[in-house]
Amino acid sequence: MSSTITFDAESLPRLEEQKPQTPWGRRTSRFRTVVILAVLIPAMVATMLFWFSAIAGPIIVVAIYLPLQIIAAVLAAVAVRGTKSAGDAVIIVSAIAATIFSLIVLVSVLWSIVTKGMQALSAAFIFQNNEYISPSTPLGYGGVGHAILGTVLIVSISALIAVPLGVMTAIYITEVRGRAVPYVRFFVQAMSGVPSVVAGLFILTVLILTGVLDNSAFAAGLAYSILMLPTVARTAEEVLKLVPDDLRTGALALGSTRARVVLRVVVPAAKTGIITAAILGVARVVGETAPLLLTALKNDKTVLNPFSEPISALPTYIFTNVAQPYPDAVIRAWGAALTLMVIVAVLFTLTRMLSTKRPGK
Amino acid sequence: MSTAEYEDVSMMEADLAMTAATSARTEMETRDVSVWFGKRKVLEGVNIAFPKNTVTALIGPSGCGKSTFIRTLNRLHELIPTAALAGEVLYEGNDIYSPEVDPVHIRLKIGMVFQKPNPFPSMTIRGNVLSGLKLSGMKRPNHDDIVEQTLTAAGLWNEVKDRLNNAAGDLSGGQQQRLVIARSLAVNPSVLLMDEPCSALDPGSTLKIEETIRELSRDITIIIVTHNMQQAVRVADNTAFFLATDGNPGHVVEQGPTTEIFGNPQDQRTLDYVNGRFG
Repeated sequence: MSSTITFDAESLPRLEEQKPQTPWGRRTSRFRTVVILAVLIPAMVATMLFWFSAIAGPIIVVAIYLPLQIIAAVLAAVAVRGTKSAGDAVIIVSAIAATIFSLIVLVSVLWSIVTKGMQALSAAFIFQNNEYISPSTPLGYGGVGHAILGTVLIVSISALIAVPLGVMTAIYITEVRGRAVPYVRFFVQAMSGVPSVVAGLFILTVLILTGVLDNSAFAAGLAYSILMLPTVARTAEEVLKLVPDDLRTGALALGSTRARVVLRVVVPAAKTGIITAAILGVARVVGETAPLLLTALKNDKTVLNPFSEPISALPTYIFTNVAQPYPDAVIRAWGAALTLMVIVAVLFTLTRMLSTKRPGK
Repeated sequence: MSTAEYEDVSMMEADLAMTAATSARTEMETRDVSVWFGKRKVLEGVNIAFPKNTVTALIGPSGCGKSTFIRTLNRLHELIPTAALAGEVLYEGNDIYSPEVDPVHIRLKIGMVFQKPNPFPSMTIRGNVLSGLKLSGMKRPNHDDIVEQTLTAAGLWNEVKDRLNNAAGDLSGGQQQRLVIARSLAVNPSVLLMDEPCSALDPGSTLKIEETIRELSRDITIIIVTHNMQQAVRVADNTAFFLATDGNPGHVVEQGPTTEIFGNPQDQRTLDYVNGRFG
């Protein structure tokens, strides 16, 4: 009969010397060689073709380099890990290629906006308005200050309307679970397909032409909120659905009312997601131009009253300037596009920072 | 306890004595295994040998590193970004962490059953049992036989044989857990790791799974993490007691034949723990 083994205290000095390691990152030299070959050979073939043949660069990349790289990766995988890992190699190389391709597209769009937009950028461009500025006025005079204010005003109005409505709709669907849920969900889904120009037309015919509202930031905000609502509602619904039912029953078991379950437990648990829903809603509308052309019109002056006067926003400013036959006006449009992008980026970063705060320290 | 259950338990004990006598060869072994998450050392110097076709129970209070340890045995540990490790884990005499070893192969030979039943919801009962064959690309003939054999081995066949094409999500928790055991058997593992497989189950399902474990240990090596000391007594040939104190890394305080650990422990802390005085 064997007896037990207790912890061997004499092993402690030996254990003291142990260092944390990640053995799964270690590679055999064979593995390294194969991977280096699999990366270098297709790249070299492609480079040779690029220098010494008449085939166009993009064709080499797409039709020769990429298939070659996939084949090389498959061979490497089979050599190192056996035939079963061939699929892994195809997926990994394709995923990397697709990611690089999307990055190139995104970066080149960004690059053209930044390089062209920077030419227009100056303090005057950010802070001044477009009053007394004609399309042929040189850069350095006039700017998008009024349009920045317009965009902020219109988007804020629409967010103030659409975010609470959208979140409440999501709460109705996921928490109240009333009888109308299938219909509500259907209409929300259908609404997300509404073309933005239709939202503008709706506000124009129902509220502006009937004399209820003037062409104004408020009218534009209403049009925007029609577009924002489905995005916010559907995203918020998805994130509320992710909250585990255990939390709901847990709160109910503490004697909570359903309203308090929603407000104190479910919504805080989904806070990050709901903020994301709001961001996606804002992102959905911030560049929309068509509704503004029908509701807010344009205005070269700085407008602070959201109810009575036509108002310019960044999209309408871009729209009017890019169509001018003057190079400086087109540069201004690029500058406005850059400004719009920076505003969106700042907004996203800010909300991200706010939403990642955790309870306690 | 009912008479029927009592008979089961005595059968288990007879079984246990037999396997203890026949087991000799070491299937898996760890040497000075220490584990870190980031800078924090959570496990220190674990040396355990797992003889072939035996059941080894890992017991100890929460947070002592049992679950972390069991995940180092089939290389699931490395999936955590901050994870680090020192020491060796030997399977059939070879270090599973050596660079020429393919972790996919290791996980195929060393299966795992988790705390919560995790049948794939998009698949039928039959589909779940055979999913390992599809996922690993393993070719085995006679799928119908495999389904019947593994479900029988997992003690589920009689309950589901008439509805193999129903969704796996329709089963009860205990049935789902036995289904995932059947699933992990279908790829013919030689070691089965079980991380608290019964903690979410009722006593009836627990008993069935324990019978299954005893049954399976004729052919495969089983390593089971459990919080239930009676369970360790009922199913395990050997037991290792893990303990972590006051922020120090966990280690194995005492290990040996289950009867000795529970009947005649040498360390006072083991005695206290197995008698329910802490933990």
